[in-house]
Parts: sequence; structure tokens; C-alpha cells
Amino acid sequence: MTEAMLNLVCTLQGHLDRAWNVAWNPTGTLLASCGGDKAVRIWGKEGDKWVCKTVLQDGHQRTIRSVAWSPCGNFLASCSFDATVCIWDKRQGDFECMATLEGHENEVKRVAWSASGHLMATCSRDKSVWIWEFDDDEEFECASVLSAHSQDVKFVTWHPHKDILASASYDDTIKFFKEEEDDWTCFDTLDSHDSTVWSLSFDKTGERLVSCSDDKTVKFWQEYLPDNPQGVATSGSDPKWKCVCTLSGYHSRTIYDVCWCHQTGLVATACGDDAIRVFQEEPNSDKHQPSFNLAVTVNKAHSQDVNSISWNPKIPALLASCSDDGDVKIWQWEQKS
Amino acid sequence: MASKFSGALQLTDLDDFITPSQECIKPVKIEKKPTKTGAIKIGIDGSYLELGQDGSEYKLEKAKITLNDCLACSGCITSAESVLITQQSQDELYRILEENKNLDTQQGSADKKKTVVVSVCPQSRASLAAKYKIGIVEAAQRINGFFKRLGVDLVFDTSFSREFSLIESGKEFIRRYKARDTQKSAIPMLASACPGWICYAEKTHGSYILPYISTTKSPQQIMGSLVKDYLAKRHGKTPDQIYHVTVMPCYDKKLEASRQDFYNDVYRTRDVDCVISTGEVDKMLDVEGISLVDVEPCKEPCDSLFSPQSNELYGHPGGGSGGYLEHVYKYAAQELFGTHIGHLSYKTLRNQDFKEVTLEVDGKEELKFALAYGFRNIQNIVQKIKRGKCQYHFVEIMACPSGCLNGGGQLRPDDGESSKELLQRVDELYNSLETRTPFQSNDIHQLYEDWLGGSDTEKAQHMLHTQYHEVEKMTSALNLKW
Amino acid sequence: MPILENVNPEIHQKASAREITHAEEDDDVVDEIDGREIFDLIRNINDPEHPLSLEELNVVENSRVHVDNAQNRVMVDFTPTIPHCSMATLIGLSIRVKLLRSLPNRFKVDVRITPGTHASEEAVNKQLADKERVAAALENSHLLEVVNQCLSSNKTSSE
Repeated sequence: MTEAMLNLVCTLQGHLDRAWNVAWNPTGTLLASCGGDKAVRIWGKEGDKWVCKTVLQDGHQRTIRSVAWSPCGNFLASCSFDATVCIWDKRQGDFECMATLEGHENEVKRVAWSASGHLMATCSRDKSVWIWEFDDDEEFECASVLSAHSQDVKFVTWHPHKDILASASYDDTIKFFKEEEDDWTCFDTLDSHDSTVWSLSFDKTGERLVSCSDDKTVKFWQEYLPDNPQGVATSGSDPKWKCVCTLSGYHSRTIYDVCWCHQTGLVATACGDDAIRVFQEEPNSDKHQPSFNLAVTVNKAHSQDVNSISWNPKIPALLASCSDDGDVKIWQWEQKS
Repeated sequence: MASKFSGALQLTDLDDFITPSQECIKPVKIEKKPTKTGAIKIGIDGSYLELGQDGSEYKLEKAKITLNDCLACSGCITSAESVLITQQSQDELYRILEENKNLDTQQGSADKKKTVVVSVCPQSRASLAAKYKIGIVEAAQRINGFFKRLGVDLVFDTSFSREFSLIESGKEFIRRYKARDTQKSAIPMLASACPGWICYAEKTHGSYILPYISTTKSPQQIMGSLVKDYLAKRHGKTPDQIYHVTVMPCYDKKLEASRQDFYNDVYRTRDVDCVISTGEVDKMLDVEGISLVDVEPCKEPCDSLFSPQSNELYGHPGGGSGGYLEHVYKYAAQELFGTHIGHLSYKTLRNQDFKEVTLEVDGKEELKFALAYGFRNIQNIVQKIKRGKCQYHFVEIMACPSGCLNGGGQLRPDDGESSKELLQRVDELYNSLETRTPFQSNDIHQLYEDWLGGSDTEKAQHMLHTQYHEVEKMTSALNLKW
Repeated sequence: MPILENVNPEIHQKASAREITHAEEDDDVVDEIDGREIFDLIRNINDPEHPLSLEELNVVENSRVHVDNAQNRVMVDFTPTIPHCSMATLIGLSIRVKLLRSLPNRFKVDVRITPGTHASEEAVNKQLADKERVAAALENSHLLEVVNQCLSSNKTSSE
């Protein structure tokens, strides 16, 4: 049996209210965080130390719920309870607000860029998911308004390399969208969670997805293409996503975030019980019936609910988290044989 | 319950997204009677019973929300839709027809009878023709026959009132185009025929967008003016003695008819008393147990409002949403630049529901018009206007993707046919009629004189134009949903 | 004047002031928060519609407050006066906000409807448990004003 640990690298203080979300830039050199203080903080390394490089203020009137970097790393999108999305441009060095996207009726919960960087998705309590096109004139235009969910949409994320979007909602479902002819359509609805689905994360192949929920479970989903040898029924040319593993009994309160590391395959969760947990897939686990083991639990990782968690995209097993306590923390996973 | 309103309206839900079957948040006014006890019991049928001290039970009245309450409220629009739809439904038409029949049998009551008028729009006619696989003229004759059989007195075609709507839109555009340098909100002019779009603009964009919207009334409401003013006077009736029903391709038209602007305070009547959707007409056929193809057709496709010659069916060029862009474009090109336009070549932009057409004069873009259908395209136009970046002079905006032929009240495909295939057939049927440009008709010119006393009179303004009102966001926190 | 849904609600006796124990007066003994202390925090919250406190309306009761100090949990069940009370979410929100403002951060607070006492029990519970919705609601000045009115202590200073 190997022994795993999550070692605290540093605690980054600065947010004056609850911190809602953390996001690494594509090269893993900068970490953006945002929260109830209506500010985005950009953290980076100076020498050996992580420090706050800059604070973006005045973009939003209310809580900033989440932030997302464009795949090129030049742009940062922030979305807020004030119903808007700000696009920050850092090509000139400083971050400059280049566009404010309006249209949602109320709180925007999540913003996500597609792998190509040409598409962006947002979701809101207004139950809709919007797809925006970022064209060559650097203008954002609304490409679609999707009203597939019956409730508050909590989360959107893109497939790691295709133009496929997944969303999660207060209506307890996960939905998949693709572009068809002229518009976007929902092609699959996953409904095995018993309460709000808070977050989703694709693995590096995009063939697997992990979700976490207010029902205190984590679920793993596998994509099945038409005519798959496993005999999972599909419809037309669309793939079907099936729940292949449920982790229950590990978390004692709502699980707010889950992140699947594209380098190590580790899955980390952020939970309302103040803990961070890391799950590891068993070696030789069958992907149609996978087994995941709880490798580490950091109890009291934060002094209050852990809201967001994110693996660094380049530095293996470096994890960022943030919490209602206002702190951002960076952790290093370590495993001894 | 799936919503029957257009997508744009479903998104105007301003502050409430709490439960799926959202309860209406409109505070209801109730006649309050003093009561001794406050005990309320729920009856077996689900009604509320108030218990008196002596043990008596008094059935409490259910609170009712009118369409008007909804229009004035910045809360949801979709939640109370079951209420809305029953208020303006085929049942109301049946009730009036029944009352008329009863008055017939009572001696000396015949003058209390209402004249029942039904105005059918061409989009609904095309949808019914497609379902019953008959030609457009035959469909009109049979629809006419069906309503007459039920006891309706007159059946009109709203293509006739659309002539006024198109002419007025054209003239309004010229006026605004010429004033564009001095009047900030003159251009772009945004089409006003789609009530879903109007409602959305009033509820969410208010003062930013409303000044850009054309003041010209929709064909439905101009028909309302014609019927309740012109026709009433010709028949020696007061407006309330006429019951005016329209058949429309979308539910949002019910909201339009209910607007306070179209209510006559003196006679306590609306220009359009009741709107029934294409689907509801089909339901009426079901109720009567008859297929449209078996209805005895009338000789004429519709009655004539003006002269006996004007009961032939015709269309207007420019697509299934009324042809506003095409008419205004051709008219403006002629009036402003002396250019005759035969055929418009559209450039499809982001998607099929977003197209533009440009008139270049001496290498300069003088007119730039766009069609923008569906919520996503409306969004881009609205945001561009807000940022002062809209390059169009006129935009034909419709809330439904593919426009009015695809309205929410139209008939759904039967087994085996896709929505797209059906829409294509409806489109072909709609376009199978000969088209004419609005100014061709002598009747219209005559009516401008006889009815309105000329084309730019106060009466013309009153009968053919309307106004829009910003809906204040609701701030009564007791009802606020979060 | 808004119309009251429940015009003449039943009014209940208020609890007497809490007796202070010797241990509490002794500074050397660690003060654990108990159910009665939580109840004292919420009993005087005003009903949004009536000029009465939640205690007087029996919306909150001492017996429906549970505290687990070891697990840092506080659980409050509240009972709307009528099963279709549209104020239930607002009352729940007021209780939640009062406790969030008064208790140390370590506590996880769950505010729920007493099982079986409201037609939309599940929906209300779900909404009250969604901290994102609660956070957004509290940024709405109109709503916050009403919550603050419910929490205002003008009538409770004598307690």
C-alpha cells in the first residue's frame, strides 16, 4: 500500500469575503481567484513565493462567481451575480476590461471557453445556457440561447478538444449540447443524481466525465458511441453517457467542486464539510466498471466550506483550492511507495 | 407544463426562477370582507372553504389574474399561462355564439345580439391548409364555411389590414431616416408586428430600446381598428356590439390584444376581443367532429370589409412574417434614392434567421436592412444598439426562429413528418398566392380618405399607430423570488 | 396594504427567560452553545406579515432546535402557519441569516421546514440549503431590506 499526502504549499490571503472559484492559466503560471468582494485576484510566483500579482476591481457590481482563462492565456473571463460577464485582456501586460457581455436575466454562475477559444459558454439562474462566438474582430456574439434546463444552471464545461458542451443544474440533471445545422441542441440528459449537480470535469480524453452533487455523491460517466461493443443503447449518431461508478459515503455535506487531473488522473473534490479529498483509480480498473479509492482526505483543509478546486495544468499534482473562509490555498500531492 | 409563448417571452422572467411550475407573484386584489374567524379548510375538491363561527362553510373565491395584470407586471409571464389561455380561448367564442343563439329565441332581444367577426391571418390559413393537404384558397373557403356554420357573421383576412401596416411602416421609416442626424433614436427602426418581441423589449430593455421600435400597429390591431371603428360605424353599431375574434399563429398575440392601449374605455371593449391560435381552431374542428376537408366551403375565401371586389386572397412579398423588410426597403429605395428594386438579394449571416440586404448608391452603402428572428439574433441586435454599434437602418425582428409561419400556435407535424418538412410545406402554401405591393389597391387609398380623412391625419395616427411602455422592475420584496 | 394569507393566526405563549446556570457564570468552564441559546437568537424574529414574533406564532419552537457541538452543526426546523404559506422561504431565509450573522463560522447551519407542514417542503428546503442562492439573495437590496426588517430588534430589547 502506498501512502499519499496533500502537503500545503502556501495560504494566499487577500479576499475580503468568501472566495468562490480558482482557475489556473493554461501554462500553469498564474492562478486567478474571485469571490464575494467583487474582485479577481491574480496570483503568481516571485522566486519561490506565491504572491498576489494584481487585483481586478470595478468590473462587476456584485459577487464574482467564477473566472476562466482562454486557451491562449491572453484573456480572462469573469462572471458575476450582476448578470454580466467581463472579458479581461492581458496582452498589453495589465488586465484591461475589453468587453462586458449582457443578456442573462440574473446571476451568471459559470463561464467556460471551448478548446479552440472561439466559443464561450455561460449559464445562469435564469435557467439558460448561452453560447457566444468570439470572432476575429474580437467581438462576442450570441450564437445560441439554450433553455433545456428547468432550473438554475450551476455549471458549464467544454469537452477538452471537441465543440461539445456539458452543463449541470439545480434540476438535478447534466446535459450535453452540440452544434447541429444552424443551432445548438441538447443530445443527452443524465439524470441519476438526486439533487443539484454543482460541478463537472472531463478527463483528458473527453470520453469520461466526473460530476459532484448536493446529494453528497460523486459519479463517473463513460461515453458510449453508436454500435459500442458493450451494447449500450444509443440514439442516431449521438453518443450516450452512462454512469459507471458512484462514490457515496465519503462526503458528509454538499460537494461543490470536482476536478479531474489531466496529467495524473487524480480526482479531487471540494466539500461543504471543509475537507479536500483525492480519489485515485485502481490500477487496471475496467473503464466500464471503474474503481476509485479514497487516497487522501484533508480534514479542515479550510476553516469553512471548500468551494472550488483546480489541478495545475502543467505542474503535476499541484492543486489550488478556495473557501468561504476567504483563503486560497495551494497543495502538492505526494505519494510514497 | 410546456410553455406556449415564444422563446423570447419565456426569458423575460425577471426575478423568479425558483420552482419549475412557477407560481404567479402578482399580488391579487381581493374584496376583503371582515371575518370573525380565520379558519380555512381545504375542501375535498381542493377548493378553500372559510369556516364561520356557527360552523357554516363559505367557499372562497379563487383569485384571478387577468392578462392585463400580467402585462403590467415585471414578474414572470409564463407562470399564469393557464389562466391567460383560458381567458382568450375558443371557449369564449363559443360562449358568445351561444348567447347570440339564446337571444334569437327570446322575443325582442335580437338587437342585443352581437355581430361576431373573425379575422383570419394568412399564416394560420397556410398551417391549416398544410395539415389538411389542401390548397390555400380552398382552405380559406372551408375556414370561412366553418365559422359561418358556427354562427359567425363575417370572416375577414388580415392581409387586408396588413396593407395599412406596411404602408405606415414605409412612411414612418422615411420620416425617421430623414431625421436620423437630429434624432438619436430614429434609426435603426425596429419592426413592431411581433408581440413577443415587444413584450420582451418592454420588460427587459425599456427606455434603451423602445424609442427605436416602429409605432405602426400590427395587422391584428389595425384590423381591430377597422372592425371596431370603420365597420361598426358602417353597420350603425357601437364597438361593444361587435365581438371581434382573430385567428393567429402565436399565443403572444393574445397578450397584444389585451394591451391597455387597445382598450376602449367608453364602450369597455377591446379592438380585438379574443385571439385564438391556429391550433385552437383545429381543436374546434375536433369538438365539432368534422375535418376541415368535409366542411361545406363558402363560395368566397373571405368577406369583404370594404368593396365586393376585395375578397380575393393575395399575399405580400418578403416572407412568412409579413414582408416588412422587403416593403420598407423597396419603398425607401424608391422614395429616397429613386432606385427601383425588383428582387432583394439577402446575405445570410450567422445563421438562417439572420440575413441582411444592402443598397449601394454610387459605391456608398445607403440602406442596410436586416432580418433577425429568434431570441439569439434579437440579443445581438439589442446589444449592438445599446453599445451604439448597430449598423442597420431597419431590422425586421420576430421572436420565433423561422418567423411567424413557425409560431407557437401553429399546428405541429403529424407522425412521420419532421417540423422542418412541415414548415417547408407551410411556407410553399403561404407563398402560393399572388402577391401585390400595398399601394396597388384602390380600396386602401379610398379607405384612407373615407375612414381616416387622409393619410397623415390625427385619426390615421390614432387608428394606425400605438406606443410602448417600459415595465418597471418589481421591487415589492415580499413577492421577490430568489 | 398586502392581503394576509392567514388572517387570524393562533397566538402562542412566549417562553420565559432562560435561566443562567452556575457553570455559565463560571468563566473557567467552556461555554458550549446549546439549543436554548439558538432558540433565543431566533424566537424574536418578526413574521414578515404579522406584528408577531416567530415564537408567538409557533413557527419556531425550542424543541425543534438541535445543536451538535462536536460536529459543529445547528439544525432548526420551522413550521409555517399554513401549508401554503408563500412566506415560508422568506421566513427560512431570515432564520438562516440571523444564525449566519450570530454564530461562529465553524457551525454548519441547516434550516428546514418541519416535515409534513408545508405543501412545497422539498422545494423550500432545497432553496434554503443552496448557499449560492442565499448569497445572491442577500445581495438583492429589496430582499435584504425585508430580511432586516424581520430581524430588527425594536420589539425585542426587553428580552
